[in-house]
Amino acid sequence: MVRIRKSPARPTALIVGLLLLAINSSWANDHQLALGKRVYKKANCVGCHKWHGGGGGGYGGVALSLRDTTLDRDWLITLVRCGRPGTRMPYHDRNAYRGDNRDCYEMTADEFGEQLPPKAPRVLREKEIEAVVAYVQARIQGRGQPNHDDCTAFWGADATRCKRMLDK
Amino acid sequence: MNSNLVNSCVLACCVSGSGIATADDVPDTSFQRLQNSAGEVHNWLHHHRSYDAQRHSPLSQINRDTVSRLKVAWTFAVGGTDGGGIWPNAGLEATPIVEDGMMYIVDGWGVVQKIDVSRGRAEFQWRMDPGTDKDWAGEVACCGIDNKGVALAGKLVISHTLDGRLIAMNKSDGEIVWETQVADPARGETITVAPLIVKDMVISGMSGGEFGVRGWLHASNIATGETVWRRHTIPAPDEPGGDTWRDDHEAYKTGGGPTWITGSYDPELDLIYWGVGNPGPDWDREYRPGDNLYSNSMIALDPASGEIRFHFQYTPNDPFDYDGVNELILVDESVSGAARKMLLHADRNGFLYAIDRTTGKFIYGTPYVKRLNWTAGLDPVSGRPLDYDAEADIQHYAGVASGRGRKDSGLLCPGAMGGKNWQPMSYHPGFARLYIPVIESCHLTHTQPVTEGGAHIPREWFTAGGISQPETFTGSLTAFDVRTGKIAAKVDTRWPVLGGTLTTGGDLVFAGMPDGDVVAFDAETLEQLWMFPTGAGLNAPVMTYAIGDKQYIAVAVGLGGTMPKWWIDAVPGLENTNTGSMIFAFSL
Repeated sequence: MVRIRKSPARPTALIVGLLLLAINSSWANDHQLALGKRVYKKANCVGCHKWHGGGGGGYGGVALSLRDTTLDRDWLITLVRCGRPGTRMPYHDRNAYRGDNRDCYEMTADEFGEQLPPKAPRVLREKEIEAVVAYVQARIQGRGQPNHDDCTAFWGADATRCKRMLDK
Repeated sequence: MNSNLVNSCVLACCVSGSGIATADDVPDTSFQRLQNSAGEVHNWLHHHRSYDAQRHSPLSQINRDTVSRLKVAWTFAVGGTDGGGIWPNAGLEATPIVEDGMMYIVDGWGVVQKIDVSRGRAEFQWRMDPGTDKDWAGEVACCGIDNKGVALAGKLVISHTLDGRLIAMNKSDGEIVWETQVADPARGETITVAPLIVKDMVISGMSGGEFGVRGWLHASNIATGETVWRRHTIPAPDEPGGDTWRDDHEAYKTGGGPTWITGSYDPELDLIYWGVGNPGPDWDREYRPGDNLYSNSMIALDPASGEIRFHFQYTPNDPFDYDGVNELILVDESVSGAARKMLLHADRNGFLYAIDRTTGKFIYGTPYVKRLNWTAGLDPVSGRPLDYDAEADIQHYAGVASGRGRKDSGLLCPGAMGGKNWQPMSYHPGFARLYIPVIESCHLTHTQPVTEGGAHIPREWFTAGGISQPETFTGSLTAFDVRTGKIAAKVDTRWPVLGGTLTTGGDLVFAGMPDGDVVAFDAETLEQLWMFPTGAGLNAPVMTYAIGDKQYIAVAVGLGGTMPKWWIDAVPGLENTNTGSMIFAFSL
């Protein structure tokens, strides 16, 4: 039998470990936000809620302001997964409302009838749903009027829109 | 931004190609030829083929007896599907132009390509990439990354870009000769329209009716790109029609009236006809009391000055987004025994209008959709909606209108996409029939009132609400007899018909479906005679040309636009259609 001898952690190793953990956590966070932004674009959140999340009118309907909303993470995830009944906010979970599935609002498609939200053209994986909600909470929710930093964070530093904001 | 900024060819363009011709090799598309384009049977020189916009070709090799043998002759990968702004991908909406065996096609980002089709296959010649500012333009493109086509003038190809430029390039090698900024995306203006060449001018329209623009038409000199005139479609208070904006907060400045469908021209009358789109904001008519000229109107313009000689308005004080831009087909036919010079227009509001194009007077108006409930009908003399009140600042149509203080409009038919959208109809002179690609649809409007004055933010949507579709859209191909003013035949389709129609001397009607099917119908019976599934979404008009005695049918395939993005609740199943970017050509 091989015995593994545990040596007491040395302070330097502990610091390095914590540092690595922090870097890793920061990297994971950045990675998730980057994925969330990609999802925000490709899943057409940007179409109705606009790049700044302010929502409002348009061909997608009257969209909620994600800047002003007080919905928490769980609710936001539910709305992305399951859509918002009675509105055009679509559901992005491939299995939502399939057959007798009651994972969304504990109701089936038949029970919703005409109030059933539309299915999104592009369904999302759980990881993508969590990422886009993380992105909304970190970069959009509760941030007041969109400013130049918001613009460059979304469109990039070279975007004409953002340069024009500085001209004003 | 200087709207008349003209640059010589020192721009950051990118032209690449093979087998480049010299300037001497290319034909001269003179104004004379453009006036007689219908007679150049083998060619398709204008966006709508001819100044009368009939989209009819006399070619008859492919006909009711032979069409069953129609097969793919060649395909060409156009590319240019990458997204930008709020759009995940671009689409193809262009009508290819063909002159003596050379085809010119433009993708949604304004990349123009010349293809040699003279040997019965597609041989790439050159590509002109204008370097469109994709996010800048794509963020304020309401309805897709699209471009409806190029124009030919002299030895130049003329084309627009989504970010508002007008570019003239050599037919021979694609090198840019001049470039001018005509639309300003900073104001929410973009360009998707194909240019119209009239005399020594190129006429540009613009888009942006959902972004609080003030619409215009712009004439540029073909040789230099310099401005000849610009005509606002929404008049200033001291201009004719200015009194139809009866607000106290300068609503005309954000009054809409875009011009994003190529107009027509009558050389004999020397008048340009152009459709003007919806007023802004789309769904809050209380914000803009009055008839809101020249929104939702046909305007007839003097080419020399751009002066509006007369107009006809379809939906005054529009609360529906019945964007009156659709094409205007010029036809000389008899109605009730009297010879008429007509202008025919299938409006989004569901009526097919016949207008006297010498005066702008109403001849008749007939519903071409199955369901129309926004008005009880049209006045037989004036053509105004029956419930239009000339004394009222705010129009209330048939009790279903949207408006302030209402939860929604109630079911409104046809929907905001219209009984027909931009996809052009065609006219077969032999049958005196129009063939209308119809969207059979209804919707609900949800109005969010706009605060009077100061509510508009440049580049932000200025629609005052949104819409929803409680019912699935379907479609139909509708044949309309222009002599009787009645529907002659109608065939139902699963999808809205989104490929503009073509009629031919072979007594066929070609159309395209958003799931990618190209279909040929008997022009007399509307019986489906042939179909080819391209396998990708289709949102462009079908055209035809000939090489020698061999006829080809061609269409760009690449679904972009509104259907896959905004109307997912109305066209379930269409999300499974792939985005392509091809030209398909067919022959016997």
